[in-house]
Amino acid sequence: MAKIQEWMIVHKYMTDYTPQTEWIERRGILVWIAEVCTSIGTGLYLISLFFSLVPGYEIITWWGMLVAWLIIMFLKIPLHLIYFGKPLRFWRTIPPFSSAWKTSWFARGIIFSILFGTFAFIQLVFSFLTIDVFNIGLQFSAIGLATLTGFEILFKVLGGIFAFLGGIYPGFIMNYCKAIQFWNSGLLPVVLIIGGILDGCALLMAVGLTPAGAGIDGHVVELVSAILLIVNIFFIAVYLLSATYIGSAGKVSTMKLLKGSQAPVFWLGVIILGMIIPLAISLYTLTFGASIIPLLIIAILLHTIGAFALKYCILKVAIYKPLFVVNLGV
Amino acid sequence: MRWGMVVDLRKCIRCYSCIAACRVEHFHPMRITWPRLIAVETVELGAPKTFTYPVRCNHCKDAPCVDVCISGATQRREDGIVWVDQNKCVGCRYCIIACPYQNRTFFSKDKDTGFFPGKGLTDFEKAGKKQYPHQTGTTEKCNFCMERIDAGLAKGLKPGVDRESTPACVNMCPARALTFGDLDDPNSEVSKLIRGNRGFQLHPEFETDPSVYYIEGKIGE
Repeated sequence: MAKIQEWMIVHKYMTDYTPQTEWIERRGILVWIAEVCTSIGTGLYLISLFFSLVPGYEIITWWGMLVAWLIIMFLKIPLHLIYFGKPLRFWRTIPPFSSAWKTSWFARGIIFSILFGTFAFIQLVFSFLTIDVFNIGLQFSAIGLATLTGFEILFKVLGGIFAFLGGIYPGFIMNYCKAIQFWNSGLLPVVLIIGGILDGCALLMAVGLTPAGAGIDGHVVELVSAILLIVNIFFIAVYLLSATYIGSAGKVSTMKLLKGSQAPVFWLGVIILGMIIPLAISLYTLTFGASIIPLLIIAILLHTIGAFALKYCILKVAIYKPLFVVNLGV
Repeated sequence: MRWGMVVDLRKCIRCYSCIAACRVEHFHPMRITWPRLIAVETVELGAPKTFTYPVRCNHCKDAPCVDVCISGATQRREDGIVWVDQNKCVGCRYCIIACPYQNRTFFSKDKDTGFFPGKGLTDFEKAGKKQYPHQTGTTEKCNFCMERIDAGLAKGLKPGVDRESTPACVNMCPARALTFGDLDDPNSEVSKLIRGNRGFQLHPEFETDPSVYYIEGKIGE
């Protein structure tokens, strides 16, 4: 009998600040993990691309870009697909079957991911040939090598553009939602892309610990990582401060993060484990000049924990304004 | 032409008829409800009171759900009705996130339990599977009974005036708290009600321009 009357129970949500649950609870956890993969994957590709310009870093950055490509193609995209209620209709989101990209950041993001996957794969092949990753004695004529290098540069540019777009679009997806004031800030995409590149630095350091990184001076990556950490702390602080000014729901979200139910995740996961300790390790390494591998591994793990915690917090504290805010004379 | 609705909160008696009518009209599965009654609990002179507000999709003129839809499943017709083509929906739930009014529902498999779980389908449910199949894994919401409107217009009827072409919830409301009509027609009943009673939209600050207006009043009293 209770079941029959279930639909008659009044809905109490939206009479107070209501959290979004679709993208963080139950199957929504897949979205959270996919977003972390987006951030790490695109960030790793971008930072690897940057360091691939430094002589001596060609091999390690090739591996970094390969790992980034694998994360996007075999973790991020499948996780999003699994989350979909009708994953087999995935093709409906892609031109020419849909023109949704004109207005939807999510649709654009899917296109960015596909183009990134295509261009990055071609770039990896060209880079593989030009730098002879396995040192198997590949030889090309001068014209052949110049052609290969030209294509490699072209696809590096294309891969880089779509990695950047792929890293920043989740921020715009959330930024578009006016009703969730905590997300409705122009700083969110910036925080997410910087955070992603930062996570990429950590993963590149991890790649550097493998035989592929033999003979590489990791201090340069450490230095970039430390600078980005400081920049990201600044941007997160500004983002949180500005979120309190967007409106009442933005303020409630921020307070939930700083003092409320998500404060332990934010302070411990994002700030202490994800930023302060890795920053201290980076500064220690840069000051004393010696990389202690166990410390480096800890820093890499903590960076990654921070990446998960940051996305979790952003998704978890997102709340809607109450539906009835006007004086109804009740 | 832009179809719209006025909810006169002075007249609503919390009878749930609108919800029941919608359920029958669209054969809603057990845990799906397009229109809803939202409860607000307040304390007046020390005594707790519960007020309810009927809400449904606002069929916004600048609907965020249409903009964010990744497959083009959510569409806005020329007459202002926002609807979901369930054959196109991929179930990404971005529209649910983007809707400031939280009036969309994801029909997941766990919501398709049937009225009597484990005991088969009732005749009503069997008829519903044929007449109005709801697809799990997609998003649903009120469509202003667009099938009734289209069928009525084809017969030369006037939605909001002729019952046969008017949304089921409006027909069923015993207190006449719901009124349906053309917002673009200054002489329609809805336009007159909005003008004469200072009708308001929910959250105008979101600039979505909803097609559902409210007239304030003491609910259920």
